[in-house]
Amino acid sequence: MNSKHKIYLQPTPVRIWHWLNAFGIITLTATGAQIRFPEFISLFGSYKSAILLHNTAGLVVAASFSLWFFYYGLVARNMRKVYVPTKEDLQVGILRQAKFYFLTYFLGWKNPHHPTPENKFNPMQKSAYLAIMFVLMPLVALTGILLTNVSPLREFVILVGGLKILDAAHYLLACCLIAFLFTHVYLATLGKTAMAYIKPMWTGWEEEEPGEHPHHPA
Amino acid sequence: MRTYQRTFLRLTLLLALLVLPSAVVAADNGDCLGCHGDAETVGEQFQVNPVTFDTTAHAEIGCQECHASVTASHPDDGATPSKAVCQECHEAVSAEYAGSQHHEMAACNDCHNPHTARGATEVSGHDMNQQCAKCHGSLETALKHAEWLPQADLHLDMLPCISCHTASQDNVITLYIIKREDGSRFGDFNLASYAELKALAGDKSIESLIDRNEDNYISLTELRLFNLNPEITTLRLQGMITPETVTHDFRILENRWDCSFCHASGPAARQTSFVTLAQEDGSYRRIAAEKGAVLDALYGTPDFYMVGATRSKMLDYIGMVIIAGGMVMPIGHGTLRFLTRKNRQRKEEE
Repeated sequence: MNSKHKIYLQPTPVRIWHWLNAFGIITLTATGAQIRFPEFISLFGSYKSAILLHNTAGLVVAASFSLWFFYYGLVARNMRKVYVPTKEDLQVGILRQAKFYFLTYFLGWKNPHHPTPENKFNPMQKSAYLAIMFVLMPLVALTGILLTNVSPLREFVILVGGLKILDAAHYLLACCLIAFLFTHVYLATLGKTAMAYIKPMWTGWEEEEPGEHPHHPA
Repeated sequence: MRTYQRTFLRLTLLLALLVLPSAVVAADNGDCLGCHGDAETVGEQFQVNPVTFDTTAHAEIGCQECHASVTASHPDDGATPSKAVCQECHEAVSAEYAGSQHHEMAACNDCHNPHTARGATEVSGHDMNQQCAKCHGSLETALKHAEWLPQADLHLDMLPCISCHTASQDNVITLYIIKREDGSRFGDFNLASYAELKALAGDKSIESLIDRNEDNYISLTELRLFNLNPEITTLRLQGMITPETVTHDFRILENRWDCSFCHASGPAARQTSFVTLAQEDGSYRRIAAEKGAVLDALYGTPDFYMVGATRSKMLDYIGMVIIAGGMVMPIGHGTLRFLTRKNRQRKEEE
């Protein structure tokens, strides 16, 4: 027990956000599938139930996104440090991390990234999360808000180019997020044990054996 | 004998001269509309718009068919002209309507003006709803729908009431040209009138605004060109689902509570659409659009999208490819991970 070193990597607001987000996005994916393909999928009974659940889950995810933004932007004030890749990350770090994931990992080498609360994401994670949290998530939420309020927000719908553009954007953005989800969940199992990286997202604490440096899923 | 025949002929002619004028007056709509076409002469209550009336089926049968008691000395005779009972000609519709919940609330004339009545495909969906809005146009109606119907305001705008409140059949998608209020950047959109479209079309026909080659058929390319035309940004296409076969059995249909009645119908059911244009006489003329036009991904009908029913297949496939792309990492990396597991264990033990 004492031989293990613990590091507090995920503060409570981040964990609340993460799991609200996780359950919200799974609900959005399942209900969204029924809404788009109703003649093939009927997981939630009536079409109306699927729509109401989708809209509610969307609001929950939007609220949890606000919590994330509020925490990193105003409480921890380290959003830039955590999420924006440095020049070194872009020039060397991404390649080094990619080399680990796609080559040296299979040879049993250690992860080159050593996380700290201020620098918990490796360069590939930073780039991926930057795109997801600052581009994909806001856009999918905005298109969703417009799609659920077509009449009152008609001028914005017209400004975007119409309902068809809005629907296409919402659907394709959601598909990108779902695609990322597979990679995200898979990489979360890449620790010493399958649960090694998932447990800290629930407890906040990450354990590392002496001489070992943990990393995190992309 | 000859004297008798001559006398009979004279009497017949005299009678004909006395009777014919009244018959001729009544048989000619123009004679009636000479006075009744002018509100100043007969008052608004008795005015009939000659241009509008002329294009109705009722104009073909003539004024006197319904107002049979009108004499040559009308209105000096002081008699109130008779009015036909709709049932005399519209027997089947009347029987159907008599069995509906609406029957006790409104008579035919409360909804239909016989001097402007046209077939279902010659009026706009907005006109259809105007008839209902005489009684049901209040905020209460909107709120009542909002109690159970997601985006109720949108549904009330995009559907004729009869689509859900009668068993009317053969629904098609009808696209109307709507126009932003003149000189306004963010003003309301209203159904574009013939005069407004004519002003934009100039010397050409109004149909040429969208049916560029005027072949009475609107291709997907023509739809896209209309929607992307930078010279007519004040015009947009608004889609409504309108029935081809109208019934009068007003009631609340149980299956209309279920959203999947329309939204799970699948793209196969949304293949037929028309573009409908206002005509000079107040009627609407529709032009067939290419099959599946409303399923076009982006610019065919940019403002018409029925969630679950008018999705683009191409977008479906692109989305699936993106999701499949996300599975490459777990499957590819996971396979290599499995194959190299002994290698990694050995390294760890060292």
